[in-house]
Amino acid sequence: MQPTRARTAVYYLILWLVAILFFLPVFWILMASFKTPNDILAVPPKFIFQPTLSNIIDMLSRPNTVPYFINSLYLSITSVSLAIVVSFLAAYALSRYKFRATNFLMFLILSTRMVPAAAFVVPIFQMFNAFQWRNQFGVLMLYTMFSIPFSLWILKGFIDGVSTRYDETGFVNGASRLHVMFRVVLPQVRPGLIAAFIFNLIFVWNEFLLNFILGGPGTQMIPYALAVGLVSAGGNIDWAFVASLSTGYVLLPTVMIFLFQKYLLVGMTFGTVRGEV
Amino acid sequence: MIAVELQNLAKRYGRKQVLKDVSLTVASGDFMVVFGLPASGKSVLVRLLTGLEAPDRGRVILRGADVSKLSAGERNIGYVPQSFALYPHFTVRQNISYPLDLARVPKAEIEPEVQRVAGLLGIQDLLDRKPDQLSGGQKQRVAIARGLIKRTDIYVLDDPLVGLDFKLRERLIDDLKRTQELLKVTFIYTTSDAVESLMLASKIAVLDAGEIVECGAPETLYANPQRVQTMHHVAFPQANLTPGMLRQQSGELLVETPLACMKFDGERPEKPFGDVQIGVRPEHIRIGAPPADGWLTHQAKVLLREDLGGEEIVYLDVNGVVLTTVLRSDDQTQQHVEIDQVVRISIPPQQMVVFQEGRRIGVCKMSE
Repeated sequence: MQPTRARTAVYYLILWLVAILFFLPVFWILMASFKTPNDILAVPPKFIFQPTLSNIIDMLSRPNTVPYFINSLYLSITSVSLAIVVSFLAAYALSRYKFRATNFLMFLILSTRMVPAAAFVVPIFQMFNAFQWRNQFGVLMLYTMFSIPFSLWILKGFIDGVSTRYDETGFVNGASRLHVMFRVVLPQVRPGLIAAFIFNLIFVWNEFLLNFILGGPGTQMIPYALAVGLVSAGGNIDWAFVASLSTGYVLLPTVMIFLFQKYLLVGMTFGTVRGEV
Repeated sequence: MIAVELQNLAKRYGRKQVLKDVSLTVASGDFMVVFGLPASGKSVLVRLLTGLEAPDRGRVILRGADVSKLSAGERNIGYVPQSFALYPHFTVRQNISYPLDLARVPKAEIEPEVQRVAGLLGIQDLLDRKPDQLSGGQKQRVAIARGLIKRTDIYVLDDPLVGLDFKLRERLIDDLKRTQELLKVTFIYTTSDAVESLMLASKIAVLDAGEIVECGAPETLYANPQRVQTMHHVAFPQANLTPGMLRQQSGELLVETPLACMKFDGERPEKPFGDVQIGVRPEHIRIGAPPADGWLTHQAKVLLREDLGGEEIVYLDVNGVVLTTVLRSDDQTQQHVEIDQVVRISIPPQQMVVFQEGRRIGVCKMSE
C-alpha cells in the first residue's frame, strides 16, 4: 500500500516527538548553563530568562578545569592517532600476509573490547600500580591499546577492499613495500582512517571508569571532573557547574559527529557498509 | 635471441598443483600468447614470470640471465595487470608515468614519454582525468599505456581485454598488434579467448591443467593440432569432439564413430585399440550432398541456429551426438535450414582427426 500524505505526516510527527523527548535532557543542560542557579531549579521551569555567562566564567576560573580540557584533548587525540598508525600497519599485514588463524587473531583482539571496563579495572589498576604506570605516558598507552581493536577491524575491512593487484603493479615496477603501503594503499583507505579516528576519539573522550581509577594529575579528564564536581561544598548538586562543564564537554563530539556522520556508520559496521564514503 | 625462457616451473598451493612442469621459450620480438581456459594456471605463470611469487621448482631466465632469485622490481618487465588496477587517487597522467616516477626518471623526460604512449593508444585527451571518469575501454588503454611506458624490451599482459565488449576488444586487438610490431619488443600475453589468441599471436602456447601441451604459430596449431585441447579450444566456434573406438579387424585398423565405422589413416599407434576421440572443425561439416566422392554422409536433425549475420552456427543432432557447423550467409552452395528439419550432412574423412589419450595419432579415411 502506498503511504498517503496524511500517513507520512503522522509518521514524521511521531518521529519528531520521540526525537524531542530524547533531546530534552540535553536541551535542559544547555539552557541551564546560561541560567542563574535560581533560574535553573525554578518551578515551573523558565523558558524565557535573562541569559548569563557567569556559570561558564565560574567553571573556567576553577583551578583544574582548563587542565581537564587539555588532558581530555591531549589523551584522546594522541592515543587515537597512535592507535591508527599501529592499526594501519597491523591491518596491512593481516590483510596481505594471510597468516594462519588470522580470523581467530582478529576475534581475539576484538574480544578485549567485549568485556566491560568494570570487569578488568581491578587487575589493570594492580598492574599499573606495580609497574608505576599511573602517569601520563601509562594512561596514554592504555588508551592507545584501547583504541586499536576497532581501528584494526575498520582498517582491515578497508584494506581487504583494495585489490592486491594495486600492490603487485607497484612491485613489478620496482616499488618497495613501504611505498606500496603509504603511497598506494593508504590514500585509498582514507575514509577508513577518518572513520576509525572519529569512532575511537568519541570512545576515549567519553571514557570514565578507567580514568577515574587510574587517573592522577595530568591524566584526569572531563568525565572525571564532572563526577568529582557534581556535589558542591554544601552537599547540594552544583547544577550550574555541571551544566556549563557538560556543555563544553559535548561540544567536540557534537561538532565531530556533525561533520563526519557518514564515517560513523562505516565505523559501526567495521567498514562493511561504506555508503558514500 | 631468446628473451624469456621458463624452465620446468612448478607451483603448488596447498594440495593443488597449479603448475606442473612448464617450460617455454620466447624469442625476442615474439608476440607470445599463452592460451588457457580459466583456472588453467595462466595467472600463476604470470606471477612466477614477473617475480611476484617464487616457483617451488624451476628457473626463470630473462635476456639470458637467471632471474629466479631477483625480486619483481629487479626483473625490468613492463606489466599490464588483469582488471586495470589503475590507482584511483592518481590522474591518468600520474598513472601512466608511475613506472618512470618509480624508476626516478627526471621529470623533464617523463612528460614527452607520457605523450608518446598516450598518442600510441589515442588517450591524449584523458590525461587530466581521474580513473573513475573513464569508460571501461579507456581504463584499459590507460593500463596498457602504463605498462608500455616502461623502458624495457619484455612486456607481460595478463588477460588485459577480459570483460570488455566485443567491438572494443576488436579495436584494442588491432592497437596492441600494431603497437607490438612498431616497438619491436617481446609481448607475453595471457588469455582464455580463442579469437584473441589467433588474431594477436605470432606464437601460441596452450596451457592446460598446469602444463603447456602445445606451442607454435597460430596457423600451424589451427591447421594441424597435435593435442585434443588445442583443437577443441583454440578455435571459434569450438571444434566438435565425439568419442570413438579404435579396433583391429583382419589386420586393418578401424575407427568406430557414432556416425560410421571408418578406416584409420596414419602410423600404427603403439596401442592399436581402445577409446579415442575424434575432432571435426565446424567449418568442415557441410550441409547438403558431398561435393566429391569419398565423403562421409549422414542424416542429421537441426536443433538450433544462431544467426550471427555474416554466418550462422547450426547445432545438429547426429545419432544422439550434437555437432555444430558454420554456414556462411554468402555461400550459395550450402543449403539453408530451419529448426527440426532433417538434413543430410557430409564430412571429408581426412578432416576427422583421431586423438588417443589427448594426442593426435592420425585421421580417418573411407572404407571401400
